[in-house]
Amino acid sequence: MSALRRFARSPEGVVGFVILLTLASVALLAPVLFPGDPLRIAGAPLIPPFTDPSFPLGTDRLGRDVLAGLVHGARASLIVGIAAALVAVLIGSIVGTLAGFAGGLIDEALMRVVDAFQIVPGFLLALAFVSVLQPSLPIVILAIALGAWTGPARLARAEVLSIRERDYVASARIIGMHPLEIALREVLPNALPPVLALSAVIVAGAVLTEAALSFLGLGDPNIVTWGSMIAEGRAVLRSAPYLSIIPGLALVATVVGTYLFGEGLTAMLSRREQHS
Amino acid sequence: MKNALKLIGRRAISSIPVLLIVVIGTFFLLELAPGDAVDAYIVSIGGGDAALTEQLRQTYGLDQSPLNRLWLYLTSLLRFDLGWSVGFNRPIIDLILERLPNTFYLMGSATGLAFVLGTVLGIVAGARIGSPRDRVLSIGSLALYAIPNFWLGLVLSIVFAVQLRWFPTSGIETIASGKEGLARFLDIAWHLVLPVSALAMIYLALFLRVMRAGMAEVWRQDFVRAARAKGLSRRRIVLRHVARNALLPVVTMLGLQAASILGGSVVIESVFAIPGFGRLAQEAVAMRDAPLLMGIIVVSAVLVVLVNMIVDLVYAFLDPRVGASERSS
Amino acid sequence: MSLSRRTLLKGAGLLLASTALPITSFRQALAQDLPTGGRLIVAADSEPRNLNPAIVASNGVFFVASKVIEPLAEADFNGQDGLVPRLAVSWEGSDDGLSATFRLREGVTWHDGTPFTSADVAFSAMEVWKPLQNLGRIVFANLEAVDTPDEHTAVFRFSKPTPFQLIRNALPVVTSVLPKHLYEGTNIAENPHNNQLVGTGPFKFAEYKPGEYYRLVRNENYWSEGEPYLDEIIYRVLPDRSAAASAIEAEEIHLAAFSAVPLADLARISKVPGIDVVTKGYEGLTYQLVVEINHRRKELADVNVRRAIAHAIDKKYVVDTIFLGYATPSTGIVPQNAPEFYNPDVPQYEFDVAKANELLDQAGYPRGDNGIRFSLRLLPAPYFNETRQFGEYLRQALAAIGIDAQLVNNDSAAHQKAVYTDHDFDLAVAPPVFRNDPAISTTILVRSGTPAGVPFSNQGGYENAEIDALIDRAAETVDTEERTRLYKELQVKVVEELPLINVAEWGFITVTRDSVLNVGNNPRWAVSNWADVALKQ
Repeated sequence: MSALRRFARSPEGVVGFVILLTLASVALLAPVLFPGDPLRIAGAPLIPPFTDPSFPLGTDRLGRDVLAGLVHGARASLIVGIAAALVAVLIGSIVGTLAGFAGGLIDEALMRVVDAFQIVPGFLLALAFVSVLQPSLPIVILAIALGAWTGPARLARAEVLSIRERDYVASARIIGMHPLEIALREVLPNALPPVLALSAVIVAGAVLTEAALSFLGLGDPNIVTWGSMIAEGRAVLRSAPYLSIIPGLALVATVVGTYLFGEGLTAMLSRREQHS
Repeated sequence: MKNALKLIGRRAISSIPVLLIVVIGTFFLLELAPGDAVDAYIVSIGGGDAALTEQLRQTYGLDQSPLNRLWLYLTSLLRFDLGWSVGFNRPIIDLILERLPNTFYLMGSATGLAFVLGTVLGIVAGARIGSPRDRVLSIGSLALYAIPNFWLGLVLSIVFAVQLRWFPTSGIETIASGKEGLARFLDIAWHLVLPVSALAMIYLALFLRVMRAGMAEVWRQDFVRAARAKGLSRRRIVLRHVARNALLPVVTMLGLQAASILGGSVVIESVFAIPGFGRLAQEAVAMRDAPLLMGIIVVSAVLVVLVNMIVDLVYAFLDPRVGASERSS
Repeated sequence: MSLSRRTLLKGAGLLLASTALPITSFRQALAQDLPTGGRLIVAADSEPRNLNPAIVASNGVFFVASKVIEPLAEADFNGQDGLVPRLAVSWEGSDDGLSATFRLREGVTWHDGTPFTSADVAFSAMEVWKPLQNLGRIVFANLEAVDTPDEHTAVFRFSKPTPFQLIRNALPVVTSVLPKHLYEGTNIAENPHNNQLVGTGPFKFAEYKPGEYYRLVRNENYWSEGEPYLDEIIYRVLPDRSAAASAIEAEEIHLAAFSAVPLADLARISKVPGIDVVTKGYEGLTYQLVVEINHRRKELADVNVRRAIAHAIDKKYVVDTIFLGYATPSTGIVPQNAPEFYNPDVPQYEFDVAKANELLDQAGYPRGDNGIRFSLRLLPAPYFNETRQFGEYLRQALAAIGIDAQLVNNDSAAHQKAVYTDHDFDLAVAPPVFRNDPAISTTILVRSGTPAGVPFSNQGGYENAEIDALIDRAAETVDTEERTRLYKELQVKVVEELPLINVAEWGFITVTRDSVLNVGNNPRWAVSNWADVALKQ
């Protein structure tokens, strides 16, 4: 309750929340607002925006509705962003918690793997991963998560190290709980909040990475994403700039919104720490 | 200094198993790929019969078992031999060394520029947290950071290269110009203005935000309050105490971001047709040239390790204790 | 300017008609008023790993190498049989199809000063074209020996009757001649001269800077007096398409061939002052947009389903919207650009969704509750923007007739593996090339029996004894007229049975600064020797 109030007091957080809320509702309502396949050829090609009431934002090279693409693209971008962050945080927290809790050789081995992922440029890894396993939505999500899970892992491990000697963990150990059980039931939930603050950054990064992959032609061809719309519009960037500007703006708004929201979260958490 | 060297040595040794994980992991990832370099090549020449593909596979050892090839790869790696590129039909080390300088120029100048500008603007913003100047810089940097860099590159190229013709549209230098020395250096610099700007703007935002956040943190600390109580001028406090201490997280950031900065070269080099490391990676992916892609990933991992060692050294020089002793004087 | 040139042309033509000079000298006479000198900078979208056109007969290689290494004959708009002499001055096939005689040009030297002789031709044919070259392996499969009675005569001897029509049509593509003295006794496939070319052509290979450019310089001793006009040609490596368009607009390069400027940008760029869009010069390099069908799928093995799919495709939309008019609807496996073989009298499948639906209903594939008859996987080839866009269109066109197609986007290696090696597809979109004669790369698209792994061949498991027999008979028919008739018959059969669906055919576009002269003046212009290309200063 008071945490919410703290969040509401940070103007960045509120603005971010409003942007994200708008996007989320658009994304959720996409099938209602624009039923059917957004990749459908709906009209004449290259209708400029604001000229034809049935296509408010115009049509692309093949005559597909830009607004429908934009709305469905919001869905894809949010799914990619959130799912990639979820996967990254999940893998990261599990690995980090295990490493921190187990210590010794297991810790050493797991952290070397984390190092290995950290020194390979994430985008190169995603590029190789997607091209090897063929572009589809789950593969793209996994590829992005692979480059992003090390941050949460390190954070989770640090948190675990700092709390594993605390009383409730020690007492759990005394009553004979299995180490793994302690890790999952006691330590993980406590290590989670700072990891969550990090995930806003991951979501924003994931949305941008997906766009860059689509731009290089490595997106899922069966769905429309903002990145693929920009890539499509690129050939006509000079004659129909709106085709790349509109999805580009949507992308910027999403990333800015996510960041601001993340800042609100950070503000909320850091003030909580100050209080405690 | 001695400590720093020891630290470097330890880093170097501990990075060996990490690099091994990278090599083996990449190898098996690339094994999963459907189709190999010969498939990609046959298509690129418009087709050939079955005997030709068989012959090519034999020449490049692609008919051997994966474990055999991994063993061969690892043993040759010990001799600093990265193998032979099927797609280019040349030694991989040559290809990489040929492209690396271009990426160095690009990334070095972009990171340097972003670091300097980002830190300075971060100080400006962090000097008075919450001031209008701070708000404008914070939000502006956020917007910059949110712009996809390929998109920024495209727009810059159209406005400044095609429309205004201030800068060349693409390439690393004027082709076959015969320029030498300073003239060549200036030529390269002129070609790099747009791609460097596109990249620097994004990292600038990153450094600015870290610097600002660091300063916000330092302002709250006791010694700053003490300095204010002593009545030192604000400018002096900002520069000597707050900024200096806030610089440490920025340097750390540089090390952490080294990998992602290198990854960012892929898209920008493609947009500006710069024959660098990133474009080589993209070509390797397209040609299904597994050994080349391995070589690129291994070399970039080594580079990131090196950058982190340098960051460690710099960190040692900027060590807070040095500042502390000065403060007490 | 253009009017005065045309008058000049006409006058010269009349004059020449009386003296009956060959066409080449006519062009030289005209050429005298072309400016000489200058550095031509063109965009190159790839850097072939092997630049030797005698081993790799592909457009990417020819684009650079054809200026350095010459074939026996080149394609021409006006020449007899569409050819103009290069290293050979005349050629003739025997009536039994067992030999072909070439008279070679005299006074030609290699770039290193060694004289060019029939030994070079014999060596190239026996050691390179027949065993190593991707297309020569097919055309010269029955080549037994090349006799060299004198330094300027080469007699090709075949073990089985080989139609001279085929050899003649293949001359520009498969007969790039290599210098025997630099290749003999070496591992030809790995010879360093494969990338440091030595030829007889108007330009000498000077320099290659990987990732940046190729540089060719004028051959002062070129056999054709007065040519070439240019001092230098530079191929600037610009793999990114919009980079090529920007570079030409910013006057950093003169010319971008092979549609390096995207079709969608042509309407705009053609209005930029000083830039011309040239569609001529690709008549001998026709690409075909084809739907490949996997006949192992039970639904697709039914000819009525295939016909329904053909009816569902709006070729006019494909040509107008995807190719923006820079293409022609196809009628069959031979393109209209090959008048020697083209047969317009074939059945047509007009765009008719209702009829397509009806055919599918009759074939026993009714729509399910969700409106879907059956689902399949559609693999568009990644090589061109247009093949990918057509894939997206085809998915929509199939949806209209109740076929749910899932697009699978692969890169080229994965596409090659999935379609041509593993047969892991239902429908695929391919861009095969028609290479002047159906026997080179066209009949392989429908004939059965090609081993897996060969791209641009029938890997859909289609088998039709009648079609196979027709192809085999044509392959050994020496009589030109009869052979042509067989191929016309084949076109009818293929359209009736639809082992694949030909949708459209296209050539590439050249975008050039108007200072470049003689652009697009032969049917394989981009891959010809450019001896007559000049640059206005």
